[in-house]
Amino acid sequence: MSAPTRNPELVVDGFPPRRARWVQLATSADHKDLGRILIAGALGFLFMAVVELLLMRLQLAVPENTFMPPVTFNRILSLYGATAIFLFALPLALGFFYYVTPLQIGARGTALPRLGQTGTWLFIAGAAVLYTTFLFTPPEAGVNPLPPLSGLAFLADNGVDAWLAATGLATLGFVLIAIDLVATLRRLRAPGMAWRRLPVFSWAAAISSWLLLVIGPVMLAAITMLMVDRNFEGIFFAGDAGGSPLLWQHLSWIFYSGAYMLILIFALGAIAEIVPALARKPLFNRNAVIGSLVAIAVLGTLAWMQNMYTAPIGLGWMYFAMIMSLALIVPFGLIFFNLIATLSGGAARMRAPLLFAAGAIAAIAIGLAAELEHSMVAVGWRLQHTTDSTAATHFALVGGAVLGGFAALHWWFPKMTGRTMGETLARISFWTIVLGILVAFVPLFLAGGEKGQVIDAYKFFAGEGLDAYNLIATIGAFVLAAGIVLGLLNAILSREGGRPAGHDAWGADSLEWFALSPPEPHNFDLLPDVRSPRPMRDIRLAIAHRSAREDQPAREHQPVA
Amino acid sequence: MTPHSPGTDQIDTLLWIGFAAAAILAIAVIGGLLVVLARNRGERGAEPRQVSGGPGIQLRVGGALGIFALAVLVLSIVFTDRAREAPATGPAGLEVAGGEPLQIKTTGQQWLWRYEYPDEAFSYYRLVVPVDTEVELDLVSTDVVHTWDVPDLAPKVDAVPGKTHKVVFRADEEGTYTGQAATLSGQAYAAMRTAVEVVSPQQYEAFVESQKEEIQAAQDRVVKLIENGEVP
Repeated sequence: MSAPTRNPELVVDGFPPRRARWVQLATSADHKDLGRILIAGALGFLFMAVVELLLMRLQLAVPENTFMPPVTFNRILSLYGATAIFLFALPLALGFFYYVTPLQIGARGTALPRLGQTGTWLFIAGAAVLYTTFLFTPPEAGVNPLPPLSGLAFLADNGVDAWLAATGLATLGFVLIAIDLVATLRRLRAPGMAWRRLPVFSWAAAISSWLLLVIGPVMLAAITMLMVDRNFEGIFFAGDAGGSPLLWQHLSWIFYSGAYMLILIFALGAIAEIVPALARKPLFNRNAVIGSLVAIAVLGTLAWMQNMYTAPIGLGWMYFAMIMSLALIVPFGLIFFNLIATLSGGAARMRAPLLFAAGAIAAIAIGLAAELEHSMVAVGWRLQHTTDSTAATHFALVGGAVLGGFAALHWWFPKMTGRTMGETLARISFWTIVLGILVAFVPLFLAGGEKGQVIDAYKFFAGEGLDAYNLIATIGAFVLAAGIVLGLLNAILSREGGRPAGHDAWGADSLEWFALSPPEPHNFDLLPDVRSPRPMRDIRLAIAHRSAREDQPAREHQPVA
Repeated sequence: MTPHSPGTDQIDTLLWIGFAAAAILAIAVIGGLLVVLARNRGERGAEPRQVSGGPGIQLRVGGALGIFALAVLVLSIVFTDRAREAPATGPAGLEVAGGEPLQIKTTGQQWLWRYEYPDEAFSYYRLVVPVDTEVELDLVSTDVVHTWDVPDLAPKVDAVPGKTHKVVFRADEEGTYTGQAATLSGQAYAAMRTAVEVVSPQQYEAFVESQKEEIQAAQDRVVKLIENGEVP
């Protein structure tokens, strides 16, 4: 079937002359343009994060290295954390949600496009603030700048202020985009697109947006308090003046835990679109997967104190966090079970998106299994703050945001550009990334779990059995970087040079494949009535049915009755 | 890393239980995925049967996972409680008046650990404790958050300004155990290390005496310097 083409009758005179392409893009409030800005920006910052990771791994290649002074290491570490979370993983997830969701629900745009536009450019502004700190003083308070270290008394230069401004702008932007997505999902679904028929990825967008509406303001509050502390003599986090340094830990860990879950919800939502389509079977049980995604958002965020087992909080709170963390076994397990059950009995076409999806499932499973161990209170006392936790987080988040993100990228790339990403390069980059993850992070599991190597340190000492682990991890980081760069290169090359994909590139069931590739500015000329969770399949079947009746040839522009 | 206290013994056991649980889950997911992917390929041909599962199997799988999680939870609570149990001073240990633990005030500061013993003695970097004795560290911080971590002897604990955080342990064997601060605390964070020397009660008392004498001697020297006008 070829999707509907432009109706010649609709051509009118008097369109304003087209502006230059970059002006068009920079002033657009169209969700597809903004989604592409978010995705392209996120992938650019993925490259920056990789460069920063390599610099840190170079410093940690050999014991007591003097490649860079400690202050430089701390600055790169701080930039790496902010880049990986605020400038790569979250905008990548939101970019895909923002691009795909209106198409999936059959909307002609978003409900509050100016809000989404503001949000996107706030993210760009935050990124600009963070990276212009190279001109003065980059932040050096670490991945999570805990007060009092991030207070004025200990870091008096502008670095921490820049970190706060940057992450604050980006977080505010994400919240605005989330508001737009919530409104769009509530108000602009096509006729018949009931919640029970909503594609899983759109459900993931809805859950993530609601989650951001909860955790985003929490982080913004924490950022504001620290700004007040630093610049207006506030005492929110001053332990000796009636405040509490632990307050920052609670607020920031609520955000980070929720963001962690958001990234996994995004990855699993995308995988739950890819797996059924490429196995040519419906998802084994939609309701279980959607319910599990909701449970992950709630339980995962409530488990924030899992990161505070070493802090002076009551044991009861730690048990509360542990119960929430261990309860996550059920929803995550159910999602994995349903994905595997979908593949079982299917006829899987092993294209790049499915390959990346399978890799993401494996990496996320390892990372989450390790996180499970960290959530057991007494084990947390031993393993937290070691490279073992670095490895667990990286397995889950590189699995979710890089492998899962690349799965989503390969999947929707044909829709965004009209071209398929090169399959050979995709396979090479996939296996390189998988090899890189294993070689880079398995040694860190061992160095942290067996030898207790601490996190965030700019050097380690010889004679403590850490040399080999760290050297191998550095080599692995380079392999991982090569794989990621190959994947990014593939995307750049395929924009112009990829094989033309057609409108219905994969034979998937959701409505974004009913639009042109790339979609028209208004997304759809006409929309079918949605009668099931698999509207595109209904359309294909109806067309096949009509074509079979030879007396009446298929007509393309008609909504399917 | 080998545990040398009753608490870290329990932590070590729970670590291996957790490792087994994590390995079971990860292997189940990855194994299932690989088997299913290997068996169900097909580039073209007829569409496979469009089957999906009802709520029954979801309840069964979810229930099984729930029971697994509950078992892990119960084991975690049992071993965590055992790991926290205050270990009583043994026969080879130092008798402290009133059966109290030996309290040592531990102060984290950029980028050193300071240990204050009951009799006015103190030491930096090196903590000396008697073997087989219940030791309580009262952790405070004078500046930023530090994490005290000597994994062979005790759980990790944060020293947070404005709060006192207690950790109790009993070292079972004489020897030197090293540790390193585990929360980023600024530029010299990686060098903020500590060593716990576990010695016999007699050696401990001798150490405290010699520390006191040295501190006294150093103070006397300072007083003399000031009296002689060599220091303003």
